[in-house]
Amino acid sequence: MKLWIRILLGLAVAGIAAAFFVYHFVINKPHPDFEKIKPDYTLNAGAFYNEFKTSRENASKLYNGKVIEISGKLSRVENADTLTIAVFVFSKGMFGDEGIRCVMLKKYSEDAKKLKPDGTIRIKGYCTGFNETDVIMEHCSLIYNQK
Amino acid sequence: MNKYWIILMITAGSFTSGYTQTYVSKNGMIRFYSEASLEKIEAVNRQVNTALMSTTGDFVFRVLIKSFNFEKAMMQEHFNENYLESDKYPEATFVGKITNIRDINFTKEGSYPADVEGKLTIHGQTQPIKQNGTLEIKNDAVTAKAKFSILLADYRISIPNTVVNNISKSIEITVEVMMSKLNK
Repeated sequence: MKLWIRILLGLAVAGIAAAFFVYHFVINKPHPDFEKIKPDYTLNAGAFYNEFKTSRENASKLYNGKVIEISGKLSRVENADTLTIAVFVFSKGMFGDEGIRCVMLKKYSEDAKKLKPDGTIRIKGYCTGFNETDVIMEHCSLIYNQK
Repeated sequence: MNKYWIILMITAGSFTSGYTQTYVSKNGMIRFYSEASLEKIEAVNRQVNTALMSTTGDFVFRVLIKSFNFEKAMMQEHFNENYLESDKYPEATFVGKITNIRDINFTKEGSYPADVEGKLTIHGQTQPIKQNGTLEIKNDAVTAKAKFSILLADYRISIPNTVVNNISKSIEITVEVMMSKLNK
Protein backbone atom coordinates (compact mmCIF):
# COMPACT_ATOMS: atom_id res chain seq x y z
CA MET A 1 0.00 0.00 0.00
CA LYS A 2 1.34 3.40 -0.91
CA LEU A 3 2.60 5.61 1.87
CA TRP A 4 0.15 8.46 1.20
CA ILE A 5 -2.79 6.06 1.35
CA ARG A 6 -1.57 4.74 4.71
CA ILE A 7 -1.21 8.28 6.01
CA LEU A 8 -4.71 9.17 4.84
CA LEU A 9 -6.18 6.02 6.41
CA GLY A 10 -4.32 6.73 9.65
CA LEU A 11 -5.66 10.29 9.72
CA ALA A 12 -9.19 9.06 8.99
CA VAL A 13 -9.04 6.53 11.84
CA ALA A 14 -7.63 9.16 14.21
CA GLY A 15 -10.37 11.58 13.14
CA ILE A 16 -13.13 9.05 13.74
CA ALA A 17 -11.64 8.16 17.14
CA ALA A 18 -11.41 11.85 18.09
CA ALA A 19 -15.00 12.48 16.96
CA PHE A 20 -16.21 9.49 18.99
CA PHE A 21 -14.26 10.70 22.02
CA VAL A 22 -15.67 14.23 21.78
CA TYR A 23 -19.23 13.00 21.21
CA HIS A 24 -19.16 10.39 23.96
CA PHE A 25 -17.09 12.06 26.66
CA VAL A 26 -17.70 15.77 26.02
CA ILE A 27 -20.98 16.44 24.19
CA ASN A 28 -22.84 13.46 25.63
CA LYS A 29 -20.97 13.12 28.89
CA PRO A 30 -23.19 11.80 31.68
CA HIS A 31 -24.50 13.86 34.56
CA PRO A 32 -22.44 13.59 37.75
CA ASP A 33 -23.36 10.64 39.92
CA PHE A 34 -24.35 12.66 42.98
CA GLU A 35 -24.92 9.54 45.02
CA LYS A 36 -21.25 8.61 44.75
CA ILE A 37 -19.65 12.05 44.93
CA LYS A 38 -17.80 12.80 48.14
CA PRO A 39 -19.48 15.75 49.88
CA ASP A 40 -17.70 19.10 49.81
CA TYR A 41 -19.14 19.91 53.24
CA THR A 42 -20.70 17.88 56.04
CA LEU A 43 -22.91 19.94 58.30
CA ASN A 44 -25.71 19.98 60.82
CA ALA A 45 -28.92 20.83 58.93
CA GLY A 46 -29.91 23.64 61.29
CA ALA A 47 -26.49 25.28 61.18
CA PHE A 48 -26.45 24.99 57.38
CA TYR A 49 -29.85 26.70 57.10
CA ASN A 50 -28.87 29.42 59.57
CA GLU A 51 -25.84 30.31 57.49
CA PHE A 52 -28.16 31.17 54.59
CA LYS A 53 -30.55 33.08 56.86
CA THR A 54 -27.68 35.08 58.37
CA SER A 55 -25.92 35.92 55.11
CA ARG A 56 -27.38 34.61 51.90
CA GLU A 57 -24.49 36.07 49.92
CA ASN A 58 -21.74 34.44 51.95
CA ALA A 59 -23.51 31.08 52.21
CA SER A 60 -24.30 31.10 48.49
CA LYS A 61 -20.65 31.65 47.62
CA LEU A 62 -19.68 28.78 49.85
CA TYR A 63 -22.36 26.19 49.16
CA ASN A 64 -24.20 26.84 45.86
CA GLY A 65 -23.25 24.24 43.29
CA LYS A 66 -21.60 22.05 45.92
CA VAL A 67 -22.47 18.60 47.23
CA ILE A 68 -23.45 18.88 50.88
CA GLU A 69 -24.14 16.22 53.48
CA ILE A 70 -26.51 17.32 56.22
CA SER A 71 -27.86 15.62 59.30
CA GLY A 72 -30.82 16.67 61.38
CA LYS A 73 -34.34 16.00 62.52
CA LEU A 74 -36.67 15.36 59.57
CA SER A 75 -39.94 17.31 59.67
CA ARG A 76 -41.87 15.52 56.93
CA VAL A 77 -41.73 13.95 53.50
CA GLU A 78 -43.76 15.57 50.70
CA ASN A 79 -44.86 14.11 47.40
CA ALA A 80 -45.28 16.56 44.54
CA ASP A 81 -46.05 15.15 41.12
CA THR A 82 -43.30 12.55 40.62
CA LEU A 83 -40.99 14.09 43.20
CA THR A 84 -40.33 12.99 46.75
CA ILE A 85 -39.02 15.77 48.98
CA ALA A 86 -37.56 15.40 52.46
CA VAL A 87 -38.24 18.60 54.39
CA PHE A 88 -36.44 20.07 57.39
CA VAL A 89 -38.41 22.95 58.91
CA PHE A 90 -36.60 25.56 60.98
CA SER A 91 -38.87 28.58 60.93
CA LYS A 92 -42.25 29.84 59.83
CA GLY A 93 -42.58 32.81 57.52
CA MET A 94 -45.37 34.72 55.83
CA PHE A 95 -45.63 31.97 53.24
CA GLY A 96 -45.50 28.96 55.51
CA ASP A 97 -42.76 26.66 56.75
CA GLU A 98 -39.18 27.51 55.92
CA GLY A 99 -36.14 25.28 55.99
CA ILE A 100 -34.29 22.84 53.75
CA ARG A 101 -36.05 20.95 50.95
CA CYS A 102 -34.25 17.89 49.65
CA VAL A 103 -35.47 16.48 46.32
CA MET A 104 -34.69 12.78 46.44
CA LEU A 105 -33.15 10.78 43.62
CA LYS A 106 -35.77 8.38 42.24
CA LYS A 107 -33.78 5.47 43.62
CA TYR A 108 -34.34 6.79 47.16
CA SER A 109 -37.98 7.87 46.82
CA GLU A 110 -39.53 4.76 48.32
CA ASP A 111 -37.11 4.67 51.25
CA ALA A 112 -37.67 8.38 51.88
CA LYS A 113 -41.45 7.90 51.95
CA LYS A 114 -40.99 5.43 54.82
CA LEU A 115 -39.04 7.91 56.95
CA LYS A 116 -40.74 8.95 60.16
CA PRO A 117 -41.04 12.62 61.12
CA ASP A 118 -38.78 13.68 63.99
CA GLY A 119 -36.29 10.95 63.17
CA THR A 120 -32.68 12.00 62.73
CA ILE A 121 -31.41 11.34 59.23
CA ARG A 122 -28.42 12.04 57.01
CA ILE A 123 -28.91 13.24 53.46
CA LYS A 124 -26.44 14.15 50.74
CA GLY A 125 -27.38 16.35 47.80
CA TYR A 126 -26.48 19.12 45.40
CA CYS A 127 -27.21 22.59 46.80
CA THR A 128 -28.82 24.88 44.20
CA GLY A 129 -29.27 27.83 46.53
CA PHE A 130 -31.58 29.72 48.86
CA ASN A 131 -34.82 31.21 47.51
CA GLU A 132 -35.52 33.49 50.51
CA THR A 133 -37.64 30.84 52.20
CA ASP A 134 -35.85 27.54 51.68
CA VAL A 135 -32.48 26.07 50.87
CA ILE A 136 -32.94 23.71 47.93
CA MET A 137 -30.99 20.49 47.58
CA GLU A 138 -31.41 18.32 44.48
CA HIS A 139 -30.36 14.77 43.51
CA CYS A 140 -30.43 13.72 47.16
CA SER A 141 -29.55 10.33 48.58
CA LEU A 142 -30.02 8.91 52.05
CA ILE A 143 -26.96 7.90 54.01
CA TYR A 144 -27.86 4.85 56.02
CA ASN A 145 -24.78 3.99 58.00
CA GLN A 146 -24.47 6.15 61.06
CA LYS A 147 -20.95 7.25 61.88
CA MET B 1 -34.14 40.11 50.64
CA ASN B 2 -35.62 41.18 47.34
CA LYS B 3 -37.68 44.37 47.80
CA TYR B 4 -40.61 43.00 45.80
CA TRP B 5 -40.76 39.92 47.99
CA ILE B 6 -40.87 42.19 51.02
CA ILE B 7 -43.70 44.25 49.48
CA LEU B 8 -45.74 41.12 48.87
CA MET B 9 -45.06 39.83 52.37
CA ILE B 10 -46.22 43.13 53.86
CA THR B 11 -49.29 43.06 51.63
CA ALA B 12 -50.01 39.50 52.67
CA GLY B 13 -49.57 40.38 56.31
CA SER B 14 -51.82 43.42 56.12
CA PHE B 15 -54.69 41.33 54.82
CA THR B 16 -54.40 38.30 57.04
CA SER B 17 -57.24 39.41 59.24
CA GLY B 18 -59.53 39.98 56.24
CA TYR B 19 -60.88 37.61 53.67
CA THR B 20 -57.88 37.64 51.40
CA GLN B 21 -56.43 34.25 50.78
CA THR B 22 -52.82 33.63 49.89
CA TYR B 23 -52.10 30.68 47.65
CA VAL B 24 -48.57 29.33 47.65
CA SER B 25 -46.49 26.61 46.06
CA LYS B 26 -42.94 25.49 46.52
CA ASN B 27 -43.05 22.94 43.72
CA GLY B 28 -44.13 24.91 40.70
CA MET B 29 -42.81 23.93 37.30
CA ILE B 30 -41.09 26.12 34.73
CA ARG B 31 -39.88 24.61 31.49
CA PHE B 32 -38.01 26.36 28.75
CA TYR B 33 -37.58 25.17 25.24
CA SER B 34 -35.78 26.38 22.19
CA GLU B 35 -35.28 24.76 18.85
CA ALA B 36 -32.71 25.84 16.31
CA SER B 37 -31.48 24.22 13.11
CA LEU B 38 -29.06 21.86 14.82
CA GLU B 39 -30.26 21.37 18.34
CA LYS B 40 -33.21 21.62 20.66
CA ILE B 41 -32.63 22.77 24.19
CA GLU B 42 -35.03 21.93 26.96
CA ALA B 43 -34.79 22.23 30.73
CA VAL B 44 -37.19 21.85 33.62
CA ASN B 45 -37.26 23.32 37.10
CA ARG B 46 -39.75 21.86 39.58
CA GLN B 47 -38.73 23.91 42.61
CA VAL B 48 -40.46 27.17 41.76
CA ASN B 49 -41.60 29.29 44.71
CA THR B 50 -44.89 31.03 44.00
CA ALA B 51 -47.41 33.18 45.84
CA LEU B 52 -50.72 34.65 44.70
CA MET B 53 -52.98 37.01 46.65
CA SER B 54 -56.58 36.31 45.71
CA THR B 55 -57.88 39.84 46.39
CA THR B 56 -55.12 42.06 45.06
CA GLY B 57 -53.94 39.74 42.30
CA ASP B 58 -50.33 40.18 43.41
CA PHE B 59 -48.38 37.33 41.92
CA VAL B 60 -44.72 36.45 42.35
CA PHE B 61 -42.46 33.59 41.53
CA ARG B 62 -38.87 32.95 42.31
CA VAL B 63 -36.71 30.29 40.73
CA LEU B 64 -33.16 29.15 41.38
CA ILE B 65 -31.20 28.89 38.14
CA LYS B 66 -29.13 25.91 39.28
CA SER B 67 -32.36 23.94 39.80
CA PHE B 68 -32.94 23.72 36.02
CA ASN B 69 -32.29 20.18 34.89
CA PHE B 70 -31.21 19.34 31.35
CA GLU B 71 -31.05 16.03 29.56
CA LYS B 72 -27.43 16.68 28.60
CA ALA B 73 -24.90 17.48 31.31
CA MET B 74 -22.83 19.64 28.98
CA MET B 75 -25.81 21.85 28.15
CA GLN B 76 -26.50 22.28 31.85
CA GLU B 77 -22.89 23.31 32.45
CA HIS B 78 -22.91 25.84 29.61
CA PHE B 79 -26.30 27.17 30.70
CA ASN B 80 -25.04 27.84 34.23
CA GLU B 81 -21.50 28.94 33.48
CA ASN B 82 -21.68 30.75 30.14
CA TYR B 83 -25.23 31.92 29.52
CA LEU B 84 -27.11 32.51 32.79
CA GLU B 85 -23.95 32.87 34.94
CA SER B 86 -25.78 31.31 37.85
CA ASP B 87 -23.00 31.97 40.36
CA LYS B 88 -23.40 35.70 39.72
CA TYR B 89 -27.17 35.70 39.13
CA PRO B 90 -28.50 32.74 41.14
CA GLU B 91 -32.20 33.34 40.58
CA ALA B 92 -34.89 34.61 38.25
CA THR B 93 -37.98 36.36 39.57
CA PHE B 94 -41.34 37.55 38.38
CA VAL B 95 -43.18 40.23 40.33
CA GLY B 96 -46.52 41.41 39.05
CA LYS B 97 -50.26 41.23 39.15
CA ILE B 98 -53.15 39.41 37.62
CA THR B 99 -54.90 42.53 36.39
CA ASN B 100 -58.33 40.94 35.91
CA ILE B 101 -58.36 39.28 39.33
CA ARG B 102 -61.91 40.56 39.99
CA ASP B 103 -63.15 38.37 37.13
CA ILE B 104 -61.88 35.26 38.87
CA ASN B 105 -64.18 33.57 41.34
CA PHE B 106 -61.97 31.65 43.74
CA THR B 107 -65.00 30.00 45.32
CA LYS B 108 -66.25 28.51 42.07
CA GLU B 109 -64.40 25.73 40.29
CA GLY B 110 -63.50 26.41 36.69
CA SER B 111 -60.89 27.70 34.28
CA TYR B 112 -60.48 31.47 34.06
CA PRO B 113 -58.41 33.55 31.64
CA ALA B 114 -55.80 35.59 33.50
CA ASP B 115 -54.09 38.74 32.28
CA VAL B 116 -50.68 38.99 33.86
CA GLU B 117 -48.50 42.07 33.98
CA GLY B 118 -45.26 42.59 35.79
CA LYS B 119 -41.51 42.56 35.73
CA LEU B 120 -39.42 39.54 34.85
CA THR B 121 -35.82 39.50 36.03
CA ILE B 122 -33.39 37.06 34.49
CA HIS B 123 -29.60 37.28 34.39
CA GLY B 124 -29.81 40.48 36.44
CA GLN B 125 -31.87 42.23 33.76
CA THR B 126 -35.46 43.32 34.41
CA GLN B 127 -37.98 43.69 31.62
CA PRO B 128 -41.70 44.49 31.70
CA ILE B 129 -43.85 41.62 30.60
CA LYS B 130 -47.52 41.28 29.74
CA GLN B 131 -48.98 37.86 29.01
CA ASN B 132 -52.16 35.86 29.07
CA GLY B 133 -52.56 32.66 30.99
CA THR B 134 -55.20 30.68 32.81
CA LEU B 135 -56.11 30.07 36.42
CA GLU B 136 -57.84 26.79 37.17
CA ILE B 137 -59.74 26.58 40.43
CA LYS B 138 -60.34 23.07 41.68
CA ASN B 139 -60.54 21.45 45.10
CA ASP B 140 -59.43 24.64 46.90
CA ALA B 141 -56.27 24.74 44.81
CA VAL B 142 -55.33 27.20 42.07
CA THR B 143 -53.30 26.11 39.07
CA ALA B 144 -51.69 28.90 37.09
CA LYS B 145 -50.66 28.12 33.52
CA ALA B 146 -48.94 30.30 30.96
CA LYS B 147 -46.79 29.94 27.89
CA PHE B 148 -44.78 32.78 26.37
CA SER B 149 -41.53 33.59 24.60
CA ILE B 150 -38.70 35.91 25.52
CA LEU B 151 -35.73 37.18 23.57
CA LEU B 152 -32.34 36.26 25.01
CA ALA B 153 -30.96 39.65 23.97
CA ASP B 154 -33.49 41.42 26.22
CA TYR B 155 -31.81 39.78 29.20
CA ARG B 156 -28.26 40.27 27.92
CA ILE B 157 -27.75 36.56 27.43
CA SER B 158 -25.19 36.46 24.68
CA ILE B 159 -24.59 33.55 22.35
CA PRO B 160 -21.01 32.89 21.25
CA ASN B 161 -20.49 33.11 17.47
CA THR B 162 -19.32 29.49 17.35
CA VAL B 163 -22.73 28.17 18.40
CA VAL B 164 -24.94 30.97 17.13
CA ASN B 165 -26.68 28.60 14.68
CA ASN B 166 -27.30 25.99 17.40
CA ILE B 167 -29.24 28.22 19.73
CA SER B 168 -32.46 30.04 19.02
CA LYS B 169 -32.55 33.77 19.74
CA SER B 170 -35.78 33.32 21.66
CA ILE B 171 -36.93 30.71 24.13
CA GLU B 172 -40.40 29.49 24.95
CA ILE B 173 -41.24 29.44 28.64
CA THR B 174 -44.01 27.27 30.07
CA VAL B 175 -45.23 27.89 33.59
CA GLU B 176 -47.46 25.47 35.48
CA VAL B 177 -47.91 25.97 39.20
CA MET B 178 -50.46 24.37 41.49
CA MET B 179 -50.89 26.55 44.57
CA SER B 180 -52.64 25.60 47.78
CA LYS B 181 -54.24 27.81 50.39
CA LEU B 182 -51.73 29.01 52.90
CA ASN B 183 -52.70 27.90 56.38
CA LYS B 184 -51.73 30.52 58.91
